Amino acid sequence: MGDQLKIAVLVKRVPDSEARIKIDSGSGGIDPASVKFVVNPYDEYAVEEALALKEKAGEGEVVVISLGADSSQETLRSALAMGADRGVLLKTENAPTDPFAAAQILAAELEDGGFDLILSGKLAIDDYHHATGIIVAELLGLPGVSAASGLTVESGKGSAEREIEGGVEVVDFQLPAVVTCDKGLNEPRYPALKGIMMAKKKPLEVKDVTPADSGVEVVGLDLPPARPEGRIVGEGVDGVAPLIAALQQEAKVL
Amino acid sequence: MAKQVVRPSDKQPDLPIDKIVLTEKPDDEVIEMDVLFVGGGPAGLAGAIELARLIKRDNENGGSLGDVEIALLEKAETLGEHCLSGAVVNPRALRELFPDLTDSDFPLGNPVPKDSVYFLTPGGATRLPTPPTMHNKGNYVASISEITRWMGEKAEELGVNVFPGFPAAALLVEDDRVLGVRTTPTGLDRDGGETANFMPAADITAKVTALAEGCRGMLSQAYQQWQKISSENPQIYALGVKELWETTIPLRSVIHTMGWPLPRDAFGGSFMYPLSENVVALGLVVGLDYRQANLDVHGMLQGLKEHSLFERYLAGGELVEWGAKTIPEGGYYSVPSRNHGDGVLLLGDSIGLVDVPSLKGIHYAMQSGIYAAKTIFEALKAGDTSASALSDYDRKLKNSYVMKDLKKTRNIRLGYKDGFIAGTIKAGLATVTGGAFPGGRIAMEPDADVEKVVGGATPTATGRLSVSKVDGVFKSGNSTRDTIPEHLQAGDDIDQATAEMYVNMCPAHVYEWVDGGLRINAPNCVDCKATDVLGPRWSPREGGSGPKYKRM
Amino acid sequence: MAKILAVLEQRDGALKKVSGEILAAARKIADSIDASVDAIAIGPAGLESDLNGLAADKCTFVSSDSLQLYQADLYASAVEATASSGGYRAIVIPATAMGKDLGPRIAARLKCPLVADVTAVADGELTLVRPVYAGKAMSTVKVTAGTAVVTVRPNAFEAAGSGNASVEKIELPDTAVKRVTTAQVKAPENKSLDVSEASIVVSGGRGLKEADNFKLIEELAAAFGGEAAVGASRAVVDAGWRPHSEQVGQTGKVVSPDLYVAVGISGAIQHLAGMRTSKVIVAVNRDKDAPIFGVADYGIVGDLFEILPVLTEKIAKITAG
Repeated sequence: MGDQLKIAVLVKRVPDSEARIKIDSGSGGIDPASVKFVVNPYDEYAVEEALALKEKAGEGEVVVISLGADSSQETLRSALAMGADRGVLLKTENAPTDPFAAAQILAAELEDGGFDLILSGKLAIDDYHHATGIIVAELLGLPGVSAASGLTVESGKGSAEREIEGGVEVVDFQLPAVVTCDKGLNEPRYPALKGIMMAKKKPLEVKDVTPADSGVEVVGLDLPPARPEGRIVGEGVDGVAPLIAALQQEAKVL
Repeated sequence: MAKQVVRPSDKQPDLPIDKIVLTEKPDDEVIEMDVLFVGGGPAGLAGAIELARLIKRDNENGGSLGDVEIALLEKAETLGEHCLSGAVVNPRALRELFPDLTDSDFPLGNPVPKDSVYFLTPGGATRLPTPPTMHNKGNYVASISEITRWMGEKAEELGVNVFPGFPAAALLVEDDRVLGVRTTPTGLDRDGGETANFMPAADITAKVTALAEGCRGMLSQAYQQWQKISSENPQIYALGVKELWETTIPLRSVIHTMGWPLPRDAFGGSFMYPLSENVVALGLVVGLDYRQANLDVHGMLQGLKEHSLFERYLAGGELVEWGAKTIPEGGYYSVPSRNHGDGVLLLGDSIGLVDVPSLKGIHYAMQSGIYAAKTIFEALKAGDTSASALSDYDRKLKNSYVMKDLKKTRNIRLGYKDGFIAGTIKAGLATVTGGAFPGGRIAMEPDADVEKVVGGATPTATGRLSVSKVDGVFKSGNSTRDTIPEHLQAGDDIDQATAEMYVNMCPAHVYEWVDGGLRINAPNCVDCKATDVLGPRWSPREGGSGPKYKRM
Repeated sequence: MAKILAVLEQRDGALKKVSGEILAAARKIADSIDASVDAIAIGPAGLESDLNGLAADKCTFVSSDSLQLYQADLYASAVEATASSGGYRAIVIPATAMGKDLGPRIAARLKCPLVADVTAVADGELTLVRPVYAGKAMSTVKVTAGTAVVTVRPNAFEAAGSGNASVEKIELPDTAVKRVTTAQVKAPENKSLDVSEASIVVSGGRGLKEADNFKLIEELAAAFGGEAAVGASRAVVDAGWRPHSEQVGQTGKVVSPDLYVAVGISGAIQHLAGMRTSKVIVAVNRDKDAPIFGVADYGIVGDLFEILPVLTEKIAKITAG
């Protein structure tokens, strides 16, 4: 491997984190009316990292790949506007709800791509799986690092930092590899007008795909139970013990 | 003792034209387009769509224009997020724009079931006969946010370069010719320094720049002042505050009200429309020539919701969205005498194409876009985009139903300047005489010159249907970065009476009188522009700032 | 008989608390199909003493000193060897930093689906509930055929009591290939978190009386072990006690952490607008009628100068584990 870096970035179209989620009684999914869709924010870290690594290497190619309905072309264009070189849409109207099924399709596309690095977000903010990138790594027999908040790549070797409970794990690996990206890795760039203009003319290939059957089925989607009424747990220092108990046992945040 | 009054114009800074109309050469990195629409509302989008289609058809028929790059800039992060209207929409212009589609293809909600007009008192409501101008048979209740989002998709399908998130902050000119615009930079901190995300302003040039900024557009105002373009009357404005509620019972009528809670010396009224089976749009609109300095449109809307006419629908419901916007109300006599220039056209609300008696503007805006497109197309074909080549736009507009409609109702709104009773009588006469009464033009003064009497309480409400201004801003989706440079410029030495007028006027709690001074909470601003009419001057912030309306 | 496999987690040779929760979750899932629960633990030899009397039928212990730190590929191979021995309908793994990395590896190797971040077991066979859209909706997922990897959110299940699982010690399979090497675990950098990004926010208001007293807020935030950021109300930012970057509210930052602790903040609407979407809100205030209690899930009425030191000490203890 010379100075060239060929990087694939997996990106997903998701509802904006501010979106008000309503359940559509017909489809059993979310009601897409008036929901704004954006590039999964963690995938933006991946795109930014790919662009920065390519710029540092001096030469290379950044290919953005999305699995989803035709509307995901918009997501790919956003990544192209940031600076990616070309896009591939793996098109299906029935994108799998199981990360293994999704990873199978992505791995098949990536297998013969000759990529030095495959990046994605650590999770998508719709399904919260935190899995697809690592399954892709395993299916391709490549080193896989999840939730990297720091990454260095040099002479065919990589090193990443992962935040774990109460510490930071430092992991080393050889390229090619799959790395999923966490907050803290970088600050994604805004697309410039010029970039958006150029994005419209960059190649975007659409390939039809058919997901395999999965052994899991989503049988329901509901709004979470209403928040219980708040309460005063105690007065003065006597309130501390019941507060800790409530946070641990009821709210489960400690 | 004489009553204390404030005259808003005494404390209002001038529009800083030298910062908006730039004679310096465009940047080296300039983006060169053929036609540029500034503003992604119904006017700009209709113009871009119609022009793209005309060019496409011409090329298919062997025309010689070839590739024509059309760009459309919008300051909101996504199309529709800064668009707000009632709205009952007349589909006429949409039908002209999309001759191959039918009404059911358009993102229009319910056909208007029936019209009901009421005169309100604090405890009662008297049903009035619906004035002829307010019959809405054949019209639709709709969300302008949804319409413009949909139109944006159509424009992109036709190859228009739609750029949301890029506000235009200045006109680039050479002699009298408009060359294009400069966008706002992104990523500045409060003191104007560059952050890690800084992105410089971009210059975009075009053979024709069509200004479709909407009401009180900054570039449109600057162009008109720079070119000394006048109108018979100054433009006058109203402020509307609107809420969307999910209700438990459906509304089966389009409701308009007059009277309470407005004082008799203010012009305006309320509306409540069925947007969908369980969603109603309601709002209150008040002319900014109001006479009580403490009048608070948002506050009055809160009181209005507790009136039984509204309360019966809203009780047990939930506020979904909140927003505010200024509307040009001057009508026929306030439309500028010239709406074209060398390399430039002005469209829609930027030139006040709103008919107040029928409460319509969206289809006029679209229609102006269609005329702009036809004019630009011919100009491109002729290779001449000078002022004289583009003058055909004003001719088209003048001979159209748009100006005829406005002419017919030319004095109705103006008649209300002396209060509700005199206004109602004059409006009735003006209507039955087809606009002939009262003979000439009722002269108006700019809203900022109308003196306001200090004091006068505005009805406020604190009931369970009430929404505070800050909660409203929250429900507008406004998540403007808090550290952007201030975009509102107040006059010097603002006194308490003037400051309190701002505090009450602004529906977004931008202004506060604190420790003997005016405090400006600029990130709260939802770009309604009322401030630009009566108070501190507004300018665009970095792209994506301001509200994020979904169904307004 | 069908079986469920519970994957336990260790740190520094000791079983983590979440392992008890995994056993409980596995038991609950097993009950839905009348299955038994096996456990598997991976770690250094010293872990063995923690594996006696677990609430499972048996516990496989994959022991090697090379497994002291979480080594992704080796751990995956260890679980794979047992899991692929057959009969398991679900492999239950904690949705911790380790489990969120390990789970997908197991799913890939078993070529099976993965159900992530489960918070409850619903009625019906192998039917699991998990939050999606940042907790704004709950998805119910049913494993209809074969095996599934299930990761379980920490603190969602009450840890199982003791039992009498036998421990079977085995070696790491020699087929294991290490592609990623965990070189070390560093202490977290002592960087200050941004309020809009932290999972916990501790905010102070005018009730602190003076700028210097904000150290009480900083200490409480620090007690959460690097996960908490310090926030401030507009009043104290305007007073110059704290930098503007810490201001929470309509004209400050809008935050939505898992836990928001408001100390000495009365709760002006402009502050509430900036934090009311937080998942859990705690308020400490002297005035029992303060509006902040209207949005708080849990409140303590009283003198913050007495309450905070005690609260800080308890939180620090819990964080230290």
